[in-house]
Amino acid sequence: MDSLLDIRNLSLVFDTFDGTYHAIDDVSLSLKPGEALGLVGETGCGKSVLTRAAFGLVPSPPARITQGSVKLDGMELLGLTDRALRQVRGRQVAMIFQDPMTYLNPVFKVGTQLVDAIRAQHGGAIDRKAAREIALDMLEKVHLPNPLRQFNSYPHELSGGMRQRILIAMALAARPKLLIADEPTTALDVTIQAQILDLMAELVDDMNLSMIMISHDLGVVAQVCSRVAVMYAGKIVEDAPIREIFETPVHPYTKGLLGALPHPFRPADDLESIPGNLPDLLDPPPGCRFAGRCTFRRPECDAPIPLAEIAPRHSVACVLRPGAVTPAVAATKDLNHA
Amino acid sequence: MLKLIAKRMGLMVVMLLGLAVITFTIANVAPGDPARLAAGPDANQAMVEQIRVERGFDRPLPVRFVLYVDQLLHGDFGSSVYTGRPVARDIAQFLPATVELVLFSISIAIVLGVPLGVIAAVRQNKPIDHAIRLLSVSGVALPMFWLGLMLQWYLALDLGLFPLGGRLGIFTDVPEPITGMISIDALLRGQFAVAGEALWHMVLPATALSFPALAAIIRVNRAEMLEVLGRDYVTNARAQGIGPWRIIAVYSLKNAILPTLAMIGLRFGWMLGGTVLVEGVFDFPGLGLYAAKAAVSSDFEPIMAVTLTLGAAFMLINLVIDLLYAVLDPRVRNQI
Ligand SMILES: Nc1ncnc2c1ncn2[C@@H]1O[C@H](COP(=O)(O)OP(=O)(O)OP(=O)(O)O)[C@@H](O)[C@H]1O
Ligand SMILES: [Mg+2]
Repeated sequence: MDSLLDIRNLSLVFDTFDGTYHAIDDVSLSLKPGEALGLVGETGCGKSVLTRAAFGLVPSPPARITQGSVKLDGMELLGLTDRALRQVRGRQVAMIFQDPMTYLNPVFKVGTQLVDAIRAQHGGAIDRKAAREIALDMLEKVHLPNPLRQFNSYPHELSGGMRQRILIAMALAARPKLLIADEPTTALDVTIQAQILDLMAELVDDMNLSMIMISHDLGVVAQVCSRVAVMYAGKIVEDAPIREIFETPVHPYTKGLLGALPHPFRPADDLESIPGNLPDLLDPPPGCRFAGRCTFRRPECDAPIPLAEIAPRHSVACVLRPGAVTPAVAATKDLNHA
Repeated sequence: MLKLIAKRMGLMVVMLLGLAVITFTIANVAPGDPARLAAGPDANQAMVEQIRVERGFDRPLPVRFVLYVDQLLHGDFGSSVYTGRPVARDIAQFLPATVELVLFSISIAIVLGVPLGVIAAVRQNKPIDHAIRLLSVSGVALPMFWLGLMLQWYLALDLGLFPLGGRLGIFTDVPEPITGMISIDALLRGQFAVAGEALWHMVLPATALSFPALAAIIRVNRAEMLEVLGRDYVTNARAQGIGPWRIIAVYSLKNAILPTLAMIGLRFGWMLGGTVLVEGVFDFPGLGLYAAKAAVSSDFEPIMAVTLTLGAAFMLINLVIDLLYAVLDPRVRNQI
């Protein structure tokens, strides 16, 4: 089956005062219709920038896309005019974001914002009344209690969970093909988090959505997604079905992330965390960007290493992967499995 | 809302009383003998002393203040020692001209300043932004009276494009007063040519008076717009496919205008003070000119009355602005 979204060799830099910041480097990622992909990685690794840049939502300047292509249903998005991109955003691709507190405009009623968004999604082809019908219908769909009342309230009168439901309703009103959910539950407390995740899983099913769900948290991703891409410092280091990520992770960073996952039978202070910090992306190392923090570091790590398949649907960018074997690597691999 | 207005009105009385204390003290410790002034240059010492006792200038300051406030509470602003005219009548005559000039000036500053601030923000660091910055920096740098003099010199005296001063040409009849603001009275009475002429007379003084406010509005509104355009809700609006025009002019501006509004309130005070200079330059018969004359001659009761009137006007404007704030921002609305 053809890809719904196909990002190829995308690189993006920020022109900053201190120099050129290589935020996204040669990233390829594709998504099939109906697939739910998790995008994980620690803070600042470029998850938000990657998914926003694909749809023209990163302000330029300072951002600059230096290479690559983004195709949605076969249509190239990079280089489209803002007007053409607006047709794509909202209507075909919907986004929901991390902090529901700040993503609604404080000085307009929720209803006004919903109606405006829905009219924009339809290219202005429907009137306010029809948009209002759709909005109320969507509020019902996201199980918001008392939709009519919330419709007439201002954002500050609602709780975080309610706001996130409203943002989800707004995003999905146009029945898009693709939903980008950028840490939709991070800012919510745990019970609400679970409710929102349930809701999302339900809607993805109901509306036959494809989804990219961004998170720091592999546990959250595992609840909703069938596949995971692990990102580190602007690059994708491993991309595999969720089961394989948990059972046979290859990249040391992925393993680190799994080690950092809280476990019900382990006290929280026992959490393993990966020592060290992100490399300086103003002057990134030419080879593996994780090498500086990697316990399996080898001389080969200093040369560029591309993402390559090691099994069907499982790709890794690491010298440790089977097939990228040198005698030295084979030795580490044994060590690693011991 | 009504509760807020009542509360603020009460506060206004207290603040005006404070203002009265300060002005009263300053006017009385300033050099100059009010009794001698009132008696006139030809009076001998005996006459001066007689006036001193008659007018109560010999009594202690606090007593005189209480007496003065009592007089105010009876609606009596006193009279000018020079002209002998009741101050209340003077104020009624001169205040409308100043209100007209200041409202015209602030309108210019808002109507130009807000869009220019928005444009500068949207085109950040583009040539148009730099051009607008030049305007806003010069607004801060140029003294108001100097700008007034230069405008008068070049545009009125040299080029003859505008009248030199005054509120109307000498051959034009002032319309029968309704509000006392000539342009508005003329409009209300259907005398459009006269209204135009009155506005024409205000162009230069209003330009001088509004320039610093214009500069400030541009700067604040640009900075606020830049900040708002980077906010998450703008990203979300863009992600929904909402067009740039609606995002800028509606979604962002309604947020950015709030701090600008607060600043406009402050600028009003500056403008009221600025009328003293600008009305002087353009011989515009308003309260500023009246106050300047009274100050030069230490004419006590007019000074007090003008100060209190301008103080009250400033407080009223700021009340209006706070109410506007509440209309625009639901978070503020809920608190009051
Ligand atoms: N406007 C900008 N100018 C310069 N650098 C930027 C800009 N926006 C983002 N960055 C940088 O790009 C990198 C990636 O940011 P991004 O927001 O994608 O991180 P993230 O993976 O989404 O992190 P988080 O999990 O905290 O949301 C960060 O290091 C950030 O500093
Ligand atoms: Mg992010």
